[in-house]
Amino acid sequence: MLQGWIQITLTLAIVVAITPLLGSYMARVYLHQRTLLDPILRPVERVIYALSGINIQESMTGWQYARSLLLSNLVMAILVYLIFMGQGFLPLNPTTLSAPTWDTALHTTISFVTNTNQQHYSGETTFSYFSQMMGLGFLMFTSAATGLAVGIAFIRGLTGRSLGNFYVDLTRSITRILLPLSIVGAVLLLMLGVPETLDGAAIATTLEGATQAIARGPVAHFEIIKELGENGGGFFAINSAHPFENPNAATNLIETVAMIAIPTSLIYTYGVFANNRKQAWLVYGMVFAIYLGFVIITAIGEYGGNPTINALLGTPQPNLEGKEVRFGWAQSALFAVTTTGTMCGAVNALIDSFMPPGGFVTLSNLFLQIVWGGQGTGTAYLFVYLILAVFVTGLMVGRTPEFLGRKIEKREVVLASFMVLLVHPILILIPGAIALQFPLGVNALAFPDQFAGISNPGFHGLSQVIYEYASAAANNGSGLEGLADSQPAATGLWWNLSASVALLGGRYIPIIALLLLADSLSRKQPVPETAGTLRTDTPLFTGVTAGVILILGALTFFPILALGPIAEAFSLGG
Amino acid sequence: MIRNLNSMLADVGETCSTGWDSGRRQQVPRYLFLLLCLNLVAAPAVYAATDGAFSKTQSYAIALLALTTVALAAYLFVVIFQPERF
Amino acid sequence: MTSNPSDLRQPRGSRNQRRHTPKANMSGIYRRAIRDAFVKLNPRVAIRNPVMFVVWIGTIVTALVTLDPNLFGTAQGENPRLFNGLITIILFFTVVFANFAEAVAEGRGKAQADSLRATKSDTVARKVLPDGTIQEVSSTTLRQGDTVKVIAGDLIPADGEVIQGVASVDEAAITGESAPVLKQPGTDIASSVTGGTRIISDELTLRVTSDPGKGFIDRMIALVEGAERSKTPNEIALTVLLAVLTLVFLIVIATLPPIATYVQAPVSIAALIALLVALIPTTIGGLLSAIGIAGMDRVAQFNVVATSGRAVEACGDVSTLILDKTGTITLGNRLADEFIPVNGHSLQEVAQVSLAASVFDETPEGKSIVRLAQQLGATVDFDRASAEGIEFSARTRMSGTDLPNDREVRKGAVDAIRGFVRSRSGAITPDLDQAYEKVSRLGGTPLAVCDGGDLYGVIYLKDIIKPGIRERFDQLRRMGVRTIMLTGDNRITASVIASEAGVDDFIAEATPEDKIDVIRAEQSKGKLVAMTGDGTNDAPALAQANVGVAMNSGTQAAKEAANMVDLDSDPTKLIDLVTIGKQLLITRGALTTFSIANDIAKYFAIIPTIFAAAGIGALNIMRLSTPQSAILSALIYNALIIPALIPLALRGVQFRPLTANQLLRRNIFIYGIGGVIAPFVAVKLIDIIISAVGLA
Repeated sequence: MLQGWIQITLTLAIVVAITPLLGSYMARVYLHQRTLLDPILRPVERVIYALSGINIQESMTGWQYARSLLLSNLVMAILVYLIFMGQGFLPLNPTTLSAPTWDTALHTTISFVTNTNQQHYSGETTFSYFSQMMGLGFLMFTSAATGLAVGIAFIRGLTGRSLGNFYVDLTRSITRILLPLSIVGAVLLLMLGVPETLDGAAIATTLEGATQAIARGPVAHFEIIKELGENGGGFFAINSAHPFENPNAATNLIETVAMIAIPTSLIYTYGVFANNRKQAWLVYGMVFAIYLGFVIITAIGEYGGNPTINALLGTPQPNLEGKEVRFGWAQSALFAVTTTGTMCGAVNALIDSFMPPGGFVTLSNLFLQIVWGGQGTGTAYLFVYLILAVFVTGLMVGRTPEFLGRKIEKREVVLASFMVLLVHPILILIPGAIALQFPLGVNALAFPDQFAGISNPGFHGLSQVIYEYASAAANNGSGLEGLADSQPAATGLWWNLSASVALLGGRYIPIIALLLLADSLSRKQPVPETAGTLRTDTPLFTGVTAGVILILGALTFFPILALGPIAEAFSLGG
Repeated sequence: MIRNLNSMLADVGETCSTGWDSGRRQQVPRYLFLLLCLNLVAAPAVYAATDGAFSKTQSYAIALLALTTVALAAYLFVVIFQPERF
Repeated sequence: MTSNPSDLRQPRGSRNQRRHTPKANMSGIYRRAIRDAFVKLNPRVAIRNPVMFVVWIGTIVTALVTLDPNLFGTAQGENPRLFNGLITIILFFTVVFANFAEAVAEGRGKAQADSLRATKSDTVARKVLPDGTIQEVSSTTLRQGDTVKVIAGDLIPADGEVIQGVASVDEAAITGESAPVLKQPGTDIASSVTGGTRIISDELTLRVTSDPGKGFIDRMIALVEGAERSKTPNEIALTVLLAVLTLVFLIVIATLPPIATYVQAPVSIAALIALLVALIPTTIGGLLSAIGIAGMDRVAQFNVVATSGRAVEACGDVSTLILDKTGTITLGNRLADEFIPVNGHSLQEVAQVSLAASVFDETPEGKSIVRLAQQLGATVDFDRASAEGIEFSARTRMSGTDLPNDREVRKGAVDAIRGFVRSRSGAITPDLDQAYEKVSRLGGTPLAVCDGGDLYGVIYLKDIIKPGIRERFDQLRRMGVRTIMLTGDNRITASVIASEAGVDDFIAEATPEDKIDVIRAEQSKGKLVAMTGDGTNDAPALAQANVGVAMNSGTQAAKEAANMVDLDSDPTKLIDLVTIGKQLLITRGALTTFSIANDIAKYFAIIPTIFAAAGIGALNIMRLSTPQSAILSALIYNALIIPALIPLALRGVQFRPLTANQLLRRNIFIYGIGGVIAPFVAVKLIDIIISAVGLA
């Protein structure tokens, strides 16, 4: 037991130690200050800007930023969709895979362009190396960079700067942050045993004399950006539980830290931008406390094991169902909380097999979206919650609420509450309710067979469905599985299309709102601070924010949590 | 190209609010009438979809309730984007 | 030296404000409010309050399932009709209570409007036609620009400017002040009269300045009645948040039936509506408009008429107050305290010349100089009839008397006199500067006196700082409000008064035009500025300021430019207004926080019990007896908390001059933590009562 907790503590200590280093580096990058890599990257970037005809001096308004973002994402999505549909004719297809069904390709494209990487397919049997590298691998960089760009534009607006240029932010996010870190990480993974090859599946003869095809491919570089960019789409179906993706404890440590490094550090970057590191650390501390609480709840649940099985065994055993023994309960629990919290979505154990506390925590992570949160957007959401907390409680000091000296008025409240309070429940609960209403199909409707194809009845089935949409809407990508969502299942079409709606809505509506909010804040005349100004960088206010997050963000989903994991926990008698 | 959301919202708001103010007196009955008309379509769908688990009356009631909920949600959206009107 | 027009103002109104609001007949207000609470059930009115409108629709649905419990599917449980009926009744009263809160808040204003309307009866006006003849017409036919004549006993038919005559007017109808006010033409502030007031002596000729129905009293009636009430910016923003929360919970509840059915824990429509109503922010939704109206009303009770709720709210946001020294920081009248001879003259001589320079000066300062001189034995040694008084003007900045023997005695600002003496080829001695500095350092106003080119001495006019003003500025500072004093005094005097009174900054030797510059400078730094003013030349500044309070004694121009009018003409009230504005915002924030914090307990009361079939009964931490009783208890609490909080909404949360962080800590503790705990206790208590009565 002790060993497990030491593993967790050590990982978290590394995360905290990295935060100020990476955070201030990112601040330097986005503030366009001198960095170590300048001599190499300046010319490269200059070529990119020249080729794409970007005027790097031009700063964008919120709308221009959003429009550039939507347009570039659309172009990327079309490109990748075409790659998928034409993979049969394209090179690097040693296993001669043909094109996937149109809805699988569509869902996968949307899923990857939205930084979600929800997968309704098995990577090794669906996509060629070309599709994986040029399609998925490409989107893994650009979607992560898109998220980072939004996060940084939001921070700029919040701190009264102009929003910047989307294309420049996108380029610099890749050249200065994602690419250098990925190269270092990929080399490390390679050294620790992750394969990187363009050869087709290895053919092995087993002890019984049978022939076995062992899937492999260019995994190492794919793996690191999968974690670092909060993508989470595995090269192989079983993701980071696969021994080629995550062979040992060392790679597991690297992958866990890579997942969480950027979302944590971005809070510090905010501190540099706002010139208020105290506030950054306070907010960081608040999120860290929730995160730590979640890790402890999950870990205790897994360590305690399943009471029904323990009764059969006659001795308490940790729950190792669906887990890799090389990671054990502690690393699996930490990985699961981290991957759902950061909207990465990579898994090193089957979340479906977690005990109800784990189910509760992972679902809560998806509902809250701020326990570090997605690449860039998570930090932005966090500050949107701060804005909402300012608005709700700020009146109590007898002034129009203001954050960083900027008044929170109607427009800000519309954008902030719409994006973090309204969009998420709509995208999760409405399709979820439809799927649960027709679990077995409806004669009169257009779907003749099973409508939803949910494998479990009762509480766990409910969790599976809600998790699917929560994961899509939060752009996480992990799944409780157990849904017949892969083609050629009859229900694949429903899941592909309904999840696509949640993916798109969960990604772009908040992004547009965030950018407009940032724009509107940046244009406000700051109100000078006086004794009558509510200070937001105090422990008291940070605590108030936590309360607002709990009541406004989490209570919405309380009925779901009560009928899903909580009811399941009671039914297990745990 | 996507038009500027602000001006779009403002346009929608203007058309809505002029319509709202001019015909305010007839507005509520008109919406109720529309709701009932829609229900003529929705209720049979509910009846069919539930495979006879509900009686015809119950189907009408359920469909009407569902439509009322949707109408209420639409109303709240209007409040969110144009709170000045209320 | 009456450089500041406000010096003319008669000091009226004290810290203990007279409330001219008629002692509202509270039982009458309640009776009317109960009636209005039902009138407001009209859907066209109800739709204006989104949260309550949802409750209202919910009531109708539960009423339907009371009539036919099987309307939406086979009802379960014993006696569903009773249960549904109880829910319907509670929901209905939730809406009525919210309407009642608003109606009570409006009640006082309506009562006030009624009493104002009583003064506004049609009168016969004597209209002066262009040819000079007088025609009797109804006051409602008077138009802007008409000329009317009023004589003692008449009700003044419309707002107007005095163009001829001197008379005293009883303005009790609007100010509640029974002492009559002297009105005469051309004096900038004493020349405007208000329709509905009564002339009690002599007669006046007026030029009408307002069209019928647009006069001051009409505007006041509209304001106190709330007819022109529109939502303030903060109210609008809060409405958005409440609508979002309502919509979120509507979606949560609407999607619950399939989810609950999937886990085989179906819930009835009535229970779902109950849960919806419990979760949406009904408390603040029901009280929001009452809080706003009550805030306006509190301002009205301070005898201030605010033109909009926006202005009241802006008071809370004010970060800079611009205050005239005279009348606000110091008592209006400066009194002569000492004569300081210079240029080798004796004290007696200075007194003699000062007396001569002041005999025609009717200002309090002038009279005090006469008094002091006479105490020192000075006498008027010339024929008053053949002497001529020279009035003070802002240009010359001195006044005095031209004596028969070509002597020109003058008193005035030291440099003005210096110039005058030089122009009469007199000499300036260095002891003038010493005397000037001495007086200035005492915080007094130095007036130099001379007789032609012969400089005599300096009069020390003593300024008296209002008692208690320093403490109030300290409070303001703690609240983060900066005070800037404007004065016509010289720098030294100004700085002494400023430091004695404890203002943060001052502008000395200020002209009325300086006001607007100061306001612009502060606003460019992002600050909200409040100021008071009364003269016509204050009008641009009043319009520029975020909160401009005009004195009722002031000119029409000033009153129109301002967004508030103080009927007592007491500039110190600006400080109270800041407090009222803050109190309004705090009340709104506190009740919002309370309302939202309540949700935790309501969730814990309802969810575990209605989903008992899902085996989550252990979450019923309040140990409520049955699902029915749990729902009813939560709903009863939800309904009763509205009337329980009406007094708080009307009175406002108690305001203390603390820093923002202290206020937050205090209010979060009371309304945040309290809002989490209170419903747990209350719901449990109601549940015990319900079970004891055997209702469910």
